[in-house]
Amino acid sequence: MMKKLCIFSVLFFTVMVSTALAEVELTYWTHEDPNRTEIENRYIKEFEMANPGVKVNRVTSPSGKIAEKVLTAFAANRGPDIFNMEIEQEYAYIVNRRLAPIDFKAIGYPSDKAIYDAYLPRVLDPATFEGKLYGLPLELTNWCIYVNDRIFKAVGLDPAKDYPKTWEEMVTVSEKIVIREGQIIKRRGFDFRYPYYLVSMVPMVEQLGGKLISDDGKKAIINDPAWIKFLTFMKEWGPNGKNLGSPTYTPARSLFNKDKNDIAMCESGLYQEGRIRKDNPEFYNSKEWRVIPYPVFKSAVKNVAGNYYGHYLVVNASKPKENQQMAWKLIGHMLSHPEEYLSKVGLIQPTLKLMKSDTFKAMPYANVFKEDMERGHIVYYGENSAKIQECIREAVESVMLAGASPEQALEKLKRRAQEALEEK
Amino acid sequence: MATSRKSTKKSTSAQSLLIDVFIWAFLILAAVYIFAPFIFMFTASLMPASDIMKMPYRWIPKGLYWQNYWQGIRGNDGSFIYLRNILNSLIVASAVTATTVFLSAFTGFGLAKYRFRGRHLVFMMILATIMIPFEVIMIPLYLIIMKLGFQDSYLGLITPFIVSAFGIFLMRQYYLSFPNAVLDAARIDGASEPMIFMRIVLPNSIPAIATLAVLTFKSQWDNLLWPLLVAQTEEMKTIPLYIIRFTAEKHTDEGAMMAVAAIASIPMLILFLKLSKYFLGGAVVFTGKKG
Amino acid sequence: MISDGDRDGTAAHPCLLFQAKREMKKRIFSRGIEHKKARWGWIFIIPSLVFFSLFSFYPILNALYTSLFKKKLLSLAPPQFIGLDNYAYLLQSPEFWNSIRATVVFTLGTFVPILVFSLLFALFIMSRKRFQKFFQMAYYSPAVLSSVVVAAIWLLMLDPRGLANQWVNFILNTPGIDHKWLANSTMVQISTMMVYFWKYVGYFTIIFLVGLGSIPNSVHEAARIDGASGRTDFWYITLPLLKPTTVLVSIMSMLQCLKTFSTQYLFTQGGAPMEPINVITLNLYHTTIRDRSIGLASAMSIILFCMMLFFTWLQFKTFKSEEVDY
Repeated sequence: MMKKLCIFSVLFFTVMVSTALAEVELTYWTHEDPNRTEIENRYIKEFEMANPGVKVNRVTSPSGKIAEKVLTAFAANRGPDIFNMEIEQEYAYIVNRRLAPIDFKAIGYPSDKAIYDAYLPRVLDPATFEGKLYGLPLELTNWCIYVNDRIFKAVGLDPAKDYPKTWEEMVTVSEKIVIREGQIIKRRGFDFRYPYYLVSMVPMVEQLGGKLISDDGKKAIINDPAWIKFLTFMKEWGPNGKNLGSPTYTPARSLFNKDKNDIAMCESGLYQEGRIRKDNPEFYNSKEWRVIPYPVFKSAVKNVAGNYYGHYLVVNASKPKENQQMAWKLIGHMLSHPEEYLSKVGLIQPTLKLMKSDTFKAMPYANVFKEDMERGHIVYYGENSAKIQECIREAVESVMLAGASPEQALEKLKRRAQEALEEK
Repeated sequence: MATSRKSTKKSTSAQSLLIDVFIWAFLILAAVYIFAPFIFMFTASLMPASDIMKMPYRWIPKGLYWQNYWQGIRGNDGSFIYLRNILNSLIVASAVTATTVFLSAFTGFGLAKYRFRGRHLVFMMILATIMIPFEVIMIPLYLIIMKLGFQDSYLGLITPFIVSAFGIFLMRQYYLSFPNAVLDAARIDGASEPMIFMRIVLPNSIPAIATLAVLTFKSQWDNLLWPLLVAQTEEMKTIPLYIIRFTAEKHTDEGAMMAVAAIASIPMLILFLKLSKYFLGGAVVFTGKKG
Repeated sequence: MISDGDRDGTAAHPCLLFQAKREMKKRIFSRGIEHKKARWGWIFIIPSLVFFSLFSFYPILNALYTSLFKKKLLSLAPPQFIGLDNYAYLLQSPEFWNSIRATVVFTLGTFVPILVFSLLFALFIMSRKRFQKFFQMAYYSPAVLSSVVVAAIWLLMLDPRGLANQWVNFILNTPGIDHKWLANSTMVQISTMMVYFWKYVGYFTIIFLVGLGSIPNSVHEAARIDGASGRTDFWYITLPLLKPTTVLVSIMSMLQCLKTFSTQYLFTQGGAPMEPINVITLNLYHTTIRDRSIGLASAMSIILFCMMLFFTWLQFKTFKSEEVDY
């Protein structure tokens, strides 16, 4: 057994030595996304050819697991050179000064300002901290509603006219579509995208006049009546109310592509189009699906669409200078293909040029997404946003599933969210 | 034993028959409860996804839908990385089993057969580590492995598990009843202590070693959190990680998921059927009897 | 630890301390060449001792030390010494008490049924002349599956359209009722218990079987000659003699339940509500990974460690007074 160990260590060190021969070795951690892997591997190969002595290691993890992986690695000072996560998660790294500010020359811009000018207004704000820019968007995503026309037609609805424009209509339309056996739902009209409360549900509260965090950033959960109204809506949606959906059913978006008469509507980003095309070409080509804007409450005081969120490519500040520079150069190279990212993967890299390009216009329903993005804003991205999202999750689950009253749930939510906000 | 084997004058034969029927029914119902999830996994793995969530569930698949297995092995990206992950699980579990068995026997023998000051304390301290939940030491452990430069390697996956307190306990219990006369005879013949261990003790502890080996192998096959932290590239991942990843991929369907689960379970089930004596033997140790 | 008990071979080791102590009392050592052998004893244990120092003792001491600091992962600022503030915070946090509640409810709700049913299974299997081996293996078999697989299977079965609803509705003749296995806060607790019970009941059945098998037949014979009925024999002979095994199984399963993580973790990932099943280990995991509060998480883990030590100590005490010999 000792012999075995020896062999292992010998092998291991051989590997270490052979990799050490490359001058700069970059590691790039990203979430799994098969369509993107294909094109990024190509970019990386091109980059390695153009920069001899540079070796790039692209490592993927499931999107639900990457946060803990990056965190443990950084805690051990072994973070990757480049990584991307949702901005809510990355923000803590910026604030804690674990990331390197952008190197505009390496990316190929004449100045920092030129970068800001190349992108849509405000989209770089989340990665800006104390006047410095720390990352560039790999994707900026907002969610609209995908509709399966076949199911609409089957229940006598005209998808072009009868699609839900308000959340109240969402309930009535869903009630027409839903098929149950007793209490068990066999076909849903629409269902929410449950663990992502900050992105998909906070805008509903904002439509009603509420807010997650006050403008001065000191108080959490603003305007009780709005929150109560929202929580009441969710209670009505769930199994103890009108029984239209629940977090324990299979996520809506994974059923949608299959077109198996399970679900008529789901919430997703532009990238879903690529996934429908890949999973179910027949359904994609039938054109029997459409994308509609994010609904607004009838009694809304503010016209807000779903929040958008971003994955920003960032660079580890603890790496040597030449690694950092090379990392930005690689990012620059990858991001110089926004049109391919859009057409092959369905990711929007919000540069002015891309938004005006024909590729963008040629994407089905790109306009719906663009218009929704204009009436939306970036998701909340404080240092403790993950914890605040957990608080909202608990509140929604307690009214939907545990039978708590919206008032009870709100009281707890306010206390916990405030605590999370103040904790440094 | 007490309830039915012996029906004395008080109970009539009708009564004992009733009891008999009740016990059989109880045992069989329990077996159904135990087996249902297994059968569900295997039948669902041979059905297209749309049939799995149908009500009522059809226990006998309409046809054999082997595509699920193909998709599970192939992966959603067509990389066949599952095969590599299975190989990794085999390598890690085998290496851990080998070192654990050897080191546990080594230390267990030392604790059982030598009298020296502090042995009680040492033994107690080793046993106390059993009570440490893994989450408690996860981060410091990770830092150590990183400092050793073992991240994303077999060494990193294996090192924290090369010996187990349970194993030492098991082997020590076993060696307590190992005849001293045999050892002393060897000493008189001039054998050194390590030689006695290698030539006489080890070959004579096969039952205990086999028990420890299957239990260690099984626990490594199941290990998830540690590989999650240490394995970074797809090539270093193990089976549980693949299953988590496969289920997390949004377009994976239930049939393929069950196929992947079945593939992961079959080796353990075969091992269990072949070596059930040693699996069941693991329980014997706890009662303090020599099994 | 996502796979419960993954460091040490089996599901159920924590009560070994007792065994060890009992064995030690016996002191089976050969007298004789003691002095020369003492040196060799150290040589035999040193590799393991080094291992445990590095991979167990050091990390736990490190956790104890960290629990006295306000320390956030990622932060480059030096951690701030705050004494016992982390413990004070936890003991007045309703969320932590909820975790203690969830852990205690799960532990009681799981180990009591396991204890009762594994004893029943063992007795019934013993009473059969045929198929003994079959039932042993059948009941034990779930224990060889990995937790990830177990969770994947049960999540599908507990889906509203899954088998669990179909069966219960069939048995109770209540078509179309959704029992909300994963949604309702009471049901989700029961579901976690059910999965755990399913996985481990066979394991403890085997232990009881060994315990039963070690009661000498002569004891039963004697009772029968004295005219004891089957029932009397069970209550006055079998059960008292089985007491050591019973205490053993209860403490083992109790400690095992206190460490539970994987089922709860994978269920909440699958859409089940967090609060009802937010056991200490799950809370600990989130405090580390999501909130990055490593100091607080360390304090939590030390509290959990103390709880487990307490139960072990409790079992020492109980056991000492009730040791049975035959």
